[in-house]
Amino acid sequence: MPVPETFEFFIDAGRCIGCQSCIQACAECDTHKGQSMIQLDYVDRARSTQTLPVVCMHCDSPTCAEVCPADAIKRTEDGVVQTARKPRCIACNNCVLACPFGVPKMNTRMNLMMKCDMCHDRTSVGLKPMCASVCPSQALAFGTREEMAKLRPRSKPVNTFQFGAQTIRTKVNVMVPADAQREFVDVTAAMHEPTIGHEVLDDVFGAEVRA
Amino acid sequence: MSDAHHSSAGEPAAATRAPGLELDMIREFGPFRAYASDVRIDSGVTPDKRVKTHCCFCGQQCGLELKVKDNTIIGIEPWYDFPFNRGMLCPKGVKRYLQQAHPDRLLHAYEKDASRASGFRKLGYEDAVRRVAEAIARIQREHGRDAFAVLSGASLTTEKAYLMGKFAHLCLGTANIDYNGRLCMVSAGAGNKKAFGVDRAANPWSDILGAEVVLVAGANVAECAPITTNYIWQAREHGAKIIVVDPRITPLARTCDLFLPVKPGRDTALFSGILQLMIENDWIDRAFIEAHTVGFDAVAAQVREWTPERTANVTGVAEKTIRQAAEWWGAAKTSFLLHARGIEHHSHGVQNVLSTINIVLASGRIGRPNCGYATITGQANGQGGREHGQKCDQLPGGRDLANPEHRAYVAEIWGMNADELPQPGVDAYEIMRKAERGEIRGLLSICFNPVVSLPDNNFVRAALEKLDFFVAIDFFMSETARYADVVLPGSLQEEDEGTVTQVEGRIVRIQKAVECPGEAREDWRIIQDIAKALGRERGFTFQNPGQIFDELRVASKGGVCDYSGVTYARIEQNFGVFWPCPSETPPGVPETSPQGTLRLFEPGSWNPVAKGTGPFYFPDGRARFNPTPYVGPAEDVDENYPIILTTGRVVSQFLSGNQTRRIGPLVDHYPEPRVEIHPQLALRLGISDGDWTLVESRRGNCTLRASVVKTIRPDTIFIPYHWGGRKSANQLTISAQDPISKIPEFKVCAVRVVKAPGQPEYAALLQPQQ
Amino acid sequence: MNRDVRRSATRGLVASSTLGALIVAGSRNLDHFDAALVAYTFSILFATFGLTYRYSMWLSRPPTALYWRRGWQAFFRRGLLIRHAGQLLSRIGLDVLGNRFIVRRGQLRGLTHLLIMWGCIIAVAITFPLVFGWLHFSPVPGDLTRYEAVVFGFRAFRFPHDSTLAFFLFHGLVWASFLVIAGVMLAMRRRMREGGAAALQRFAEDFMPLVLLFAVSVTGLMLTASYTWMKGYGFTFISILHAVTVIGTFLWLPFGKFFHVFQRPAQLGVGFYKDVGRLEEKAHCRRCGHAFTSRMHVLDLIEVERKLGYRYEIAAGEVEHYQWICPPCRRASFVMAQGLLWRGHRGGSSLPCAEALLPMPTFANRGLGEGPLDSEDAENFHP
Repeated sequence: MPVPETFEFFIDAGRCIGCQSCIQACAECDTHKGQSMIQLDYVDRARSTQTLPVVCMHCDSPTCAEVCPADAIKRTEDGVVQTARKPRCIACNNCVLACPFGVPKMNTRMNLMMKCDMCHDRTSVGLKPMCASVCPSQALAFGTREEMAKLRPRSKPVNTFQFGAQTIRTKVNVMVPADAQREFVDVTAAMHEPTIGHEVLDDVFGAEVRA
Repeated sequence: MSDAHHSSAGEPAAATRAPGLELDMIREFGPFRAYASDVRIDSGVTPDKRVKTHCCFCGQQCGLELKVKDNTIIGIEPWYDFPFNRGMLCPKGVKRYLQQAHPDRLLHAYEKDASRASGFRKLGYEDAVRRVAEAIARIQREHGRDAFAVLSGASLTTEKAYLMGKFAHLCLGTANIDYNGRLCMVSAGAGNKKAFGVDRAANPWSDILGAEVVLVAGANVAECAPITTNYIWQAREHGAKIIVVDPRITPLARTCDLFLPVKPGRDTALFSGILQLMIENDWIDRAFIEAHTVGFDAVAAQVREWTPERTANVTGVAEKTIRQAAEWWGAAKTSFLLHARGIEHHSHGVQNVLSTINIVLASGRIGRPNCGYATITGQANGQGGREHGQKCDQLPGGRDLANPEHRAYVAEIWGMNADELPQPGVDAYEIMRKAERGEIRGLLSICFNPVVSLPDNNFVRAALEKLDFFVAIDFFMSETARYADVVLPGSLQEEDEGTVTQVEGRIVRIQKAVECPGEAREDWRIIQDIAKALGRERGFTFQNPGQIFDELRVASKGGVCDYSGVTYARIEQNFGVFWPCPSETPPGVPETSPQGTLRLFEPGSWNPVAKGTGPFYFPDGRARFNPTPYVGPAEDVDENYPIILTTGRVVSQFLSGNQTRRIGPLVDHYPEPRVEIHPQLALRLGISDGDWTLVESRRGNCTLRASVVKTIRPDTIFIPYHWGGRKSANQLTISAQDPISKIPEFKVCAVRVVKAPGQPEYAALLQPQQ
Repeated sequence: MNRDVRRSATRGLVASSTLGALIVAGSRNLDHFDAALVAYTFSILFATFGLTYRYSMWLSRPPTALYWRRGWQAFFRRGLLIRHAGQLLSRIGLDVLGNRFIVRRGQLRGLTHLLIMWGCIIAVAITFPLVFGWLHFSPVPGDLTRYEAVVFGFRAFRFPHDSTLAFFLFHGLVWASFLVIAGVMLAMRRRMREGGAAALQRFAEDFMPLVLLFAVSVTGLMLTASYTWMKGYGFTFISILHAVTVIGTFLWLPFGKFFHVFQRPAQLGVGFYKDVGRLEEKAHCRRCGHAFTSRMHVLDLIEVERKLGYRYEIAAGEVEHYQWICPPCRRASFVMAQGLLWRGHRGGSSLPCAEALLPMPTFANRGLGEGPLDSEDAENFHP
């Protein structure tokens, strides 16, 4: 069954607290039980606790599928880019390296790429994906646009991303300020941006602890 | 069911008896890590049933569903309808199911047997209960009733907490019962009682959503109460400003609007400074202060000395940041103040709490929608567990053991003479001191792991070793149970039913999902079995938790924590009931809503203390301003110990880790404690990220790997406390206690830090969780 | 594309013509060809055309074409050929014949696949030569107790008709059917039971092949039962039924899931490509500086992406092409881009890093318990 169109995935990484509920819950999902598909990294733990929750964005024209020599990645009619078809995947790693969002994972021993399929076992029967269900900060959220507009009036969903000269449109949205000028997120422009956070400023300490 | 690593390759073959490592006991009883396997990993298994219940860990008590197959919990499913968390769960909640059907689970009673390497031999349940009863009888006969003490816990259901208080006071007749909320909730409780006359979160969490300013003091919400994060972010989505007070830049603090990196132990100074600015700029609600409070003038006079400059000097927070905080807080129309152990775990924890309450009262923003104040309860039943008589000075319904009227009321329900009720006893740490001095000779502990969780735990170990008889009721062989003469196999949360009261004051239902395995019993049965074996069965013949709850309702009736109108059915129908929820209200007072009392202190509200004179729980109905003179930490830094140590939690572990250190995926998340050090300090000490680092205090030392991060004050280091033995942060902490609440000062002590010469002995012998 | 179609169609025709010629030759001008089996033959000829056509079309896709070429280049790499030949044999043995990687996905899954695969191999090995007239058995003149096997028109060997060999030879299809039926049952059980499978499977893609294999096996067994125990009861009807199922399977072969049988060996080439990549110069991420895959792989992907019409080139700066960014840094760039839009709305500021390159993001789960799937995942992306 297809995922109902009215329900969408919304990511606001600025809410993420790095608690790893998504990682733990992902492994509870029936389509890949025992293995977690979600990516959660510290961008620079030495400087801040900022974390990067990344699920599959489900591109309209998925680079991973296009570069797959084995034709193993399919986008179903509901816009979900499915994980690699097991009989076909030859574990060449192309998708892992080509995905503009860095999503797929490679299980070399099984000769199999695995990735987030938006919990197809759940979303296709009207349930929320595991990660977005449990996410305590709701950095990962799943619901209707109307719900989101009501809950987050100062945000708006955007699903267009710029990578160099390439524009990628996705099924999954990220939340940007409602007054943001541009209707897309320029990823490559932010490529060299350092982590964001507060700092404990030097001048609030006694000199005795200064290096 | 689960995949234990009893013979994993990483385990050293020649691990014999390294001193202090208890290797043989660990080999026998764990902690080992369980992972999902077999039926739990098979996506083709259809559960027999799905049980709507709550998480067994923190005080938020998130609703969830347990999937059960053949008496095994095979997984969880979000419970989307439960209003507090709407399906949200932290990693502990997601993986909690792995604690059940665990290979480490105690299936029998054990008694100490020095001739065995593991230290224990199995014992039949009946024999074990008889041994316990004999020991209790002998110790009480020879040394007096108070020579036998009870330590209980705030993760027990309210029914069990009630029963433990009754057991100590009626069956044992000992004054010495206390609980591990002593390490958790007591400063907030005492502060709340002094200021409001009642100890409960003043507001439901939904009031956070509409607040203009949310001030979070000493609460690592993202890791210790993760679900609360969504409430705070939700407020931000509607324009709220978030202010965080913390020595560490926690995940919540990372993008907060104003961050106050307070020096540990200086919170009173900070909030006094803020109050002074509020008064100076007239950012206070004079009408509210006039009408509903007493004691403002004294407090105003006392904070006058806290100029922004002095406050900045003492707290280490920049003056302009303090001014900004005061302005935002002062000028807000609605607000919510949350605090937790960060300001409470101090030798002046009650003062810290009162200093936050003072800025709430001065603002007048309480008792109204979106105007709130709360402490974030830590333990599963941190709220319900501190209301019904397992605290050393307390009787059910939040009544006082020292109050003759209260004594008479409860004694009548218990069918005893009020004179026979013991007088208030001593707190948990004092019980240890008395044990060490030989005044307490026997101890029963349940749901408490003091060898890991109490400060200066080298002393705690020594005290336990001095006891004539120590019985522990536990489902796993905790670090503390290793010292027991008899260990009785108790029940996991999912093996019993009852109620708990969560962070908002909402009473929720814990449902039984599976049966106790082997010879394990529900905790309340064990207690009743002991009472029976003692021949003091009267009052301990309950057939199920529902009967205990019914007695509790009567016992709490008319008290501050009135549960008399609460029934299991009412809880289930309304997704929980907020106390106070009296079964009947005086004439003219509207009946309590089906959900109970969501918000305290609403204008015109009735309570049994004020009896209509005002919304607060004092005879005059007014809240109290309390002066909060600043006192520094009990042990400040000096030349020998120049660095502040503060301790706390990580999101993947819970309290002493007796449960979570056995859940494989949670151990993997953050396997071993690390010392967080600011790069400036690390550079000066020559320590790099990942180095073994020796931390020493006047009480002990501990060698752990360093985590060099800029998310902490450079004068402070942080160690999470969930591990036992040589990895325990509480080898270092100080047992100084708050004079009122008796909470220990976990959050500040003085240490020195050096790069360790090499890896510690345990590193090669123990798995991360051990 | 038209060129590809023409070329693929030609290849298909050549392949099926070649097979046709071999049939004529192997059956000695159709002397030994059983006319009753002509429908089978034509279905196989069609399947040959279809499979060749699809394989050729598949190879013309840019990524496939490139890795086909690269796989062979890697295999024939000077100095490594001998080692590669050895590896090829062991990988064919372990992965292709032994289904090692499927066993690792799940033991029961491995068993299922082994049963189906070996059942089909045995069946094909027996029936194709018989159908094509490449193999037949004739009584040995003057010796009623023995048969003679004739292969491609040449006398091969003789054996007694009551020997064990004879029993196995003449009942080979029965054994094959048992294997296939057991495998199909296991596969069906999994597909009907497991929630994960249920969510993703499609009838045509996943059930159809199982249904066909089951039908072929069962009707085949019915034939045996009919002439062994039931005096040929309903034999004609059953044989027509069997023919329909077999012919249907062959006609379906190029379209459905069975095509993976021909596609799958490409993983052998991938193995060599990766082996060679490991010996070669590494690609270094132009955000964090860490080595992540082989330079060759990045360059190849850049070429493939260009051919596919992607424009991941970056005009400004030294990165040149987004493919030079490692997966963790891609995740970081993506999230930082969203975070930057919130600057001024939320607290915190950019915390500059003194070093020239930014640190590589680190996987948040220290014990990696729910993290990277295995060593390659961990090595490449989460050192």
